[in-house]
Amino acid sequence: MKWQRKDILGLEDMSVEDIRHILHTAKVMKEILMRPIKKLPTLKGKSVVNVFYEASTRTRTSFEMAAKVLGADTTSIAIAQSSVSKGESLYDTAKTIQAMRADLVILRHPSSGSAKFLADILDPNVINAGDGQHEHPTQALLDIFTMEEKLGPLDGKNVVIVGDVLHSRVARSNAWGLQKLGVNVTLVGPPTLLPIEMEGLGVKMTHDLNGALPGADVVMALRLQLERQKSGLFPSLREYSQLYGLTTDRLKKTGKESIVLHPGPMNRGVEISDDVADGVQALIEKQVTNGVAIRMALIYLLIGGSSNVVA
Amino acid sequence: MWWLKDVWVIDPSQKLSAPRDVLVKGGQVLEISSSMTEEEVSVKAQGEAVDTVDGKGKFVFPGLIDVHTHLREPGQEDKEDILSGSRAAVRGGFTTILAMANTQPVIDSRALVEYVRMQGDRAGFAHVHPIGTVTKGMQGTELVEMATMKEGGAVAFSDDGKNIQNAEVMRLALEYAKLTGLLIISHCEDKDLAGEGQMRRGVSSARMGLKGIPASAESVIVARDLMLAEETGGRLHLAHISTTESVDLIRQAKARGVNVTAEVNPHHLIFCDEQLGITDTFLKVNPPLGSRADRESLIEGLRDGTIDMLATDHAPHTQAEKSRPFAEAPFGIASLETALSAVWENLVVPGRISMDRVIEAWSVTPALRFGLQGGSLVAGAPADMVLFDPDFSEVIEPATLVSKARNTPFLNKTLQGFPVMVWVEGRLVQRNRIVL
Repeated sequence: MKWQRKDILGLEDMSVEDIRHILHTAKVMKEILMRPIKKLPTLKGKSVVNVFYEASTRTRTSFEMAAKVLGADTTSIAIAQSSVSKGESLYDTAKTIQAMRADLVILRHPSSGSAKFLADILDPNVINAGDGQHEHPTQALLDIFTMEEKLGPLDGKNVVIVGDVLHSRVARSNAWGLQKLGVNVTLVGPPTLLPIEMEGLGVKMTHDLNGALPGADVVMALRLQLERQKSGLFPSLREYSQLYGLTTDRLKKTGKESIVLHPGPMNRGVEISDDVADGVQALIEKQVTNGVAIRMALIYLLIGGSSNVVA
Repeated sequence: MWWLKDVWVIDPSQKLSAPRDVLVKGGQVLEISSSMTEEEVSVKAQGEAVDTVDGKGKFVFPGLIDVHTHLREPGQEDKEDILSGSRAAVRGGFTTILAMANTQPVIDSRALVEYVRMQGDRAGFAHVHPIGTVTKGMQGTELVEMATMKEGGAVAFSDDGKNIQNAEVMRLALEYAKLTGLLIISHCEDKDLAGEGQMRRGVSSARMGLKGIPASAESVIVARDLMLAEETGGRLHLAHISTTESVDLIRQAKARGVNVTAEVNPHHLIFCDEQLGITDTFLKVNPPLGSRADRESLIEGLRDGTIDMLATDHAPHTQAEKSRPFAEAPFGIASLETALSAVWENLVVPGRISMDRVIEAWSVTPALRFGLQGGSLVAGAPADMVLFDPDFSEVIEPATLVSKARNTPFLNKTLQGFPVMVWVEGRLVQRNRIVL
């Protein structure tokens, strides 16, 4: 198929065909990534700019590695976001980067919708590396890739996503993407972090993790931002962990050799216990590797032009 | 002298909605009657030249009175000033506007009240009346010198933009304002419930990952203020009502005889949260756009009189401020130039509400409740008057807007039905959409 999209902003409005095309491309990219000499000339002369308004080690590094493997030049701009009213606006920053002839801009920003905002004003392609609490499409794509790699076609499989769903762009992107692939998604969390209005995502919701686990092929734990406790969204880490933490015992309730995913970084002992995190069912390191492959695929599809790595 | 021939006159103050001829002389309405002959008119002109306007197919009504505008002067003249705002007003059919007090500095002293009034007079378009704050510095703690500010020209008191969080301060304000006979206008928003919210809390906010403002952020304060008005017997006006629960509370309070009126903004009658896209900062407004059900409740409330008035909440902002990611853009819609057209096209034409009710709610009632000139075309009344052409259509473009602001959801869209002539005290200030 011919790739049409200019930008990767989210999975809500992405077609199943596009998702499959990305996953297929990522398979090839992973083979390249696993070679001892992993460097291609494909994107020689292309410039990729990472613009990160939020601290992120793994996502930014993953994008940088992906671009470098493909031969592109990368620049990273980390912008401390102490106050939105100070300093240059995102609009002006974006225009400046465009004027420097960037081919692809990768944006991580604390405001929902910032990636679309950028894409609407820029000629270069844009990849959303996480916009506020809205979407994190590359994370969901790498999660889906990892699930498929282990489980085969995902149609009819059961995926449980547990944690702070309300504030999670990872949960939103996964809910959209997985639904499109025919997965039965169940979101789990306390009512304060999984309020009724989340039903708009169109997937099952429950506050009872134990009740949701039987039959789950995948259990994904979300990172709990510890400062949410101060806002009164949950009373204590102890109670949160008791109700929603993934432990070996609890994982047995699935009745299957389920796989465990986590977008990282983990709060060990809170949303996931050490033995689960380090156990055989956890594919957390595979997620990281696959993340590079997915990002290679996206960068290639967006700015690879007529080159044909994926013959 | 002006002679408007064969025009449909809507004047709810005299229960009139019928084709008539209108004569305006010496800044006042001289006469409204069934068709006149040229001889009769020339006799009444007493030698004065007669400007004749063919009013066939058009409406004439008392100039609209907007009790809720943000003119941004003093202090934020990059967004708007009193001159540009009052020009925008007459372009949109408003002959009287009330300027909210949340400027920089806030209007909390007689000197500042006089300044706003003077700037309005200097501008010389719509009548501009200052609203003073309720509390000094809008800090929500100490009351302003209400009696003194009334002498300076304040026509109401409001900390609009902020809610008065302390219920005792609100109670005292309702008590003390009795000295002046003026209204306390409440911006009902519980700060803690609203939090850092960006839009109405609901399926749309959850889907887009934008922090939500629950409907209760408004209605709990509406309930509180109604109780306080009932207990004190104070005069209360509720700004920009946006939820079903608020409408129900007001309806019940009115049935008990509470001295309360309420306003609704056109955008809450036209848009709802599900229409909001993640980069649509021109629909970012406070209170936020509600649900479809809220919109229906508001229309019903306006129809049955639970909601007394329409008001724009004209909130101009610069393009730079609105050209930001949603959470970083300021709240507000600039609407003086589009509000009447938008209401005509979206509510009157589809038959949701009558034009007679619109004029009552946007002219007659505000004049009576706030004690202002205007709101009537009875003989002898000042000729604050609008000629409205339901067939006139216009693309809303930056080049034609006279407000400094362009933060309107109608930008680059076509609206139909516009004021084509506007008089302030008999003086023509707008003709064919051009401010004179």
